[in-house]
Amino acid sequence: VTTELEVLAALADPTRWHLLDTIGSARAGATATVLAADLPVSRQAVVKHLGVLERAGLIAGRRAGREMRYSVRVERLDATARWMTEAARRWDQRLAAIKQLAESLDEPGRAAGTG
Amino acid sequence: LHIEPGNEESGMSKDRIEREIVISAPVSRVWAVLTEPQHVGSWFGQGPAAEIDLRPGGIMRLDHGEHGQFPTLIVKVDAPNYFAYRWASAYPGEVATDGNSTLVEFFLAVEGEGTRLRVVESGFAGLSIPAERESTAGYDSHSAGWTEVTGNIKRYAEKPAP
Repeated sequence: VTTELEVLAALADPTRWHLLDTIGSARAGATATVLAADLPVSRQAVVKHLGVLERAGLIAGRRAGREMRYSVRVERLDATARWMTEAARRWDQRLAAIKQLAESLDEPGRAAGTG
Repeated sequence: LHIEPGNEESGMSKDRIEREIVISAPVSRVWAVLTEPQHVGSWFGQGPAAEIDLRPGGIMRLDHGEHGQFPTLIVKVDAPNYFAYRWASAYPGEVATDGNSTLVEFFLAVEGEGTRLRVVESGFAGLSIPAERESTAGYDSHSAGWTEVTGNIKRYAEKPAP
């Protein structure tokens, strides 16, 4: 569970979201220098955000010359989308259980606490 | 790729999960199932009665067996139409706070002879990650909501791997 929450938390920051979006658009991946040129934040700040994204498993870096070049890891995003779907399914199950319980408490007097 | 709003399908956009069901029982009875210890214990726990201090700021102790105990923080009690609490589902044993939990809201409305029950769980994208893994300060901005996240997740997921 924590893994997916980590992904969601990593994406909760608008700058990181923008970075992920930009990296996803770059066919050959992107470096911190290129990414920073596009943002009103320092290269150092970008590096920090990239670290959060990488720890959450959302991007992967590989060395390209003097810099790291990052690309998006689709699997983790896909897994998180599936996790959200699963969480919704669990609520469907709970609602069904609530319905069954409420409908089986036939007499008001037998519904404990209401008599 | 560009940021686009997510769509409403599957009730999962906007940083939230939203589900509903129609129940053939009066609102008062559905309210009892949502708020009374012996009922909550059976649909949202492992069977034993949940300990519930039914007031804003009170704790509803959910026992999820092997997954642990969840001291859930009651946010609002507006009988019999609205009930809200914070649930730290990723942090067994920890009292729910703004930073470690999602907000679960129940809306009850009369529907014919029965009740329409809607549940909304929100705040996923705003969850903090455990402190030991996150040294960057401040999650003050939560403006990038689940709308964008889901929409884009789908697009990334459907995009062939590079």
